[in-house]
Amino acid sequence: MRLRHLLRLCAKGSAWLLLSLIIVGLLSYGPVRVKIADGASASIGDAETAIRQAFNVTLGAERAGVNVTGLLSRLDEAGLDLSMAEAASNGGNASGAADLAGASKTLADGVATDALALKGSAASWFSSFSQAFEIGLVGAGLFVVVLLLMWRWFKRYYNPRLLGSRPGVAA
Amino acid sequence: MMWSLSAYRSVFIAVGLIGVILCLVPAAVMLVPAPDAERFSELYILGPGHKAEDYPFNMSEGNNYSVILGVGNHMANSMYYGVYVKFRNSTESLANSTTSSSLPALYDYRVFLRDGQVWEGNLTFSFSNIVFNGNSSYVGGIRVNNVEFGLDKTATWDNESSGYYYQLFVELWEYDQTGNGLFYHGRFASLWLNMTSSA
Repeated sequence: MRLRHLLRLCAKGSAWLLLSLIIVGLLSYGPVRVKIADGASASIGDAETAIRQAFNVTLGAERAGVNVTGLLSRLDEAGLDLSMAEAASNGGNASGAADLAGASKTLADGVATDALALKGSAASWFSSFSQAFEIGLVGAGLFVVVLLLMWRWFKRYYNPRLLGSRPGVAA
Repeated sequence: MMWSLSAYRSVFIAVGLIGVILCLVPAAVMLVPAPDAERFSELYILGPGHKAEDYPFNMSEGNNYSVILGVGNHMANSMYYGVYVKFRNSTESLANSTTSSSLPALYDYRVFLRDGQVWEGNLTFSFSNIVFNGNSSYVGGIRVNNVEFGLDKTATWDNESSGYYYQLFVELWEYDQTGNGLFYHGRFASLWLNMTSSA
């Protein structure tokens, strides 16, 4: 009788233990999954922002006269990583998505840094204009000086020829 | 015949003026704005042979199909484009010249192009879980560029065109610095697809 009671108690206890384990498992597993998903979408959001900022800086560099071909091809790589991150996230691969988004952000940040440096070293429109204007002025001045020298030489050559061709009276 | 000295002086003065003007042309060109050419972006779909023919049409389960997507930038500066791939049945929202489709994108390409540059990318797709029941068809999934997506779309038999028609389409979105995001550009290209039980 006592043994039966003990066995019943053990069975009850096991059932409660099992139920508790299931509840604890569900509670702990749920937030972890949410956290992973949130982590992936946050990484994707960060990468999107980084790409936008990198493109803005690249546009600024282009307007300053920088050749941005290399920067754009690196942004293409960042964009490809981001597209793959989104696809991975849609497919339920949260950790893969976070990794790809992280790689995309790193690439985009690198582009932004380089674009900013290139923009800083690029000559401004005014300095390019003043350089072209100065070269033009020096060239024009030299041309005028050479032309004046030629004119002086020509005048010396012209006058005796003119005198030599003066009509004379035949004897 | 011989010219007078004053005539030669005029020639020298004219040559001098032309020379001075030519020397200053490079600087003057920088002051003149470039002519305002027509600015536009292009979006196109080509068949697998890189021509506007042989587009995939009859779809069957498990087979891979591919087309080429292209984007061209003629906007006079570098551009950031989003190319969104979407799928619908004939009753669902389609993009038009002003509004994008409300359907979510299955896959997207992010493309960065210089002025005058063209980008082309492969779009491969296949369908899974195609079921026919009476005069309706059901498509359960699509695989785009090796990524699987659930679809859950149905289409009824089209008596006029004799088929179960679905549409795969791509929308072109452009990055706008003021809005700090990608916005629909009013351009889309599409393919009509007929679901069949065999190729």
